[in-house]
Amino acid sequence: MSDTLLAILHMCVFPGGAFALLVAMFFKGLDRRVEARLQRRVGPPLTQPWIDIAKLLTKETLIPKTACRPAFLLAPVFGFTGMAVCAAFIPVPGVFDGLFNMGDLLVIFYLLPIPAMAIMLGGSASSSPFGAVGFSREMLMMLAYETPLLMILLAVAMLTGKAMNGGSWGAEFSLLNIVALQQQVGSFGYNPVMIPAFLAYLIFLPGTMGVPPFDIPEAETEIIEGPLLEYGGPLLAMFQITSALKTFVVLGLGVALFFPGTISDIWIVNLVWFLLKCLALMLLSLTLVKSAMGRFRIDQAFRFYVMVPTALALCSLILVWVM
Amino acid sequence: MSLDYMLKKLSVCSPWLFRINAGSCNGCDVELATTACIPRYDVERFGCRYCGSPRHADIVLITGPVTTRVRDRVLRVWEEIPEPKVTVAVGICPISGGVFREGYSIEGPLDKWIPVDVNVPGCPPRPQAILEGVVLAKSIWMKKLGLEG
Repeated sequence: MSDTLLAILHMCVFPGGAFALLVAMFFKGLDRRVEARLQRRVGPPLTQPWIDIAKLLTKETLIPKTACRPAFLLAPVFGFTGMAVCAAFIPVPGVFDGLFNMGDLLVIFYLLPIPAMAIMLGGSASSSPFGAVGFSREMLMMLAYETPLLMILLAVAMLTGKAMNGGSWGAEFSLLNIVALQQQVGSFGYNPVMIPAFLAYLIFLPGTMGVPPFDIPEAETEIIEGPLLEYGGPLLAMFQITSALKTFVVLGLGVALFFPGTISDIWIVNLVWFLLKCLALMLLSLTLVKSAMGRFRIDQAFRFYVMVPTALALCSLILVWVM
Repeated sequence: MSLDYMLKKLSVCSPWLFRINAGSCNGCDVELATTACIPRYDVERFGCRYCGSPRHADIVLITGPVTTRVRDRVLRVWEEIPEPKVTVAVGICPISGGVFREGYSIEGPLDKWIPVDVNVPGCPPRPQAILEGVVLAKSIWMKKLGLEG
């Protein structure tokens, strides 16, 4: 019973729920600010994501007459819940080990597409033709970026499994063991075998977060925000919170997979170190790319994802296999 | 201080802009889309963001003299914007018809059909003027929310 309570606490307070939300919103504000500075603008204040949420809460909610009401209303809740739970699985090295210690990598792999599914559900329930176009684009993007992600996770799992089995074949899907092993033998990010996988993960990030140049499903200039077109007010706020939480989850996962080193025994220092690493990952793979690039067409993005990150991840996978 | 009051107070710092082209010659649209957005004039520092969907909009910027063909669409899209919203007429065309005034296909001026809150005259208006219009719209929005501007 107390285990269940503790799990719920982890999902609601730390590292899921409240903590993840605070960090993610701060990151989002910083992201907009840094992007503006990179483009030589002043940019919005750091609290802008909170202000946006506050604004959306005061707006009225309009639901289209032809929409499928239950699905339309439930889609944002669905995405939010998925991400709040998923955030609890992210280990903060030296502070928190992750919610479950068996096969949580696979659970994360299944939970990660939930926001995209929620967007697809909402878009198709909104009965708008733009929602339908956005649905098909989101689906295509998902097919394109989930394949390299699976290969990256497999490469990490196999490398860990092999090291734990003393060189013979094995796979380890527990993030706790993956993090523990890297703290002993050094981060995978410095391992030449894993560098292609890390690059593939860097390319995976903007695709899964739907930021330029891969914001194709929600392209506001072509298909006027696609699936989110009919959403407004509190429902849209929920989608924004979900997207912020997802940023935290994918960045935290990246740190856990490739750079989970700790620098001291004090938990607060480790926490700050973890956040700094997340921030560096975000600036490198999201903000920098976003501020410098336009938008790809869906076929270009699909071809790019099928070729480049998949090839990189496959490279790592084969290297791990043969070595 | 109630939560509702605080939310309202915060909300004016996040005006999302939506553009409607009511048969404009594109001059004002170019000013809106590029000039007001480029680094030099950055609207994002007021918390603004151009949004693609009328459902997300707070401040609606309308350009063009409202032609016969486009009138019903403009009204339809304008009605899709959730309350509270502030309407800004950008350029001389929606204000008086401009050079198209009394043309056979002109149904303007805009305030015959829609209550306009801010007029930004010019052909096209300077980016600074557009920014000032947006800031003015923010204070009108505050009044609409029941806060003193």
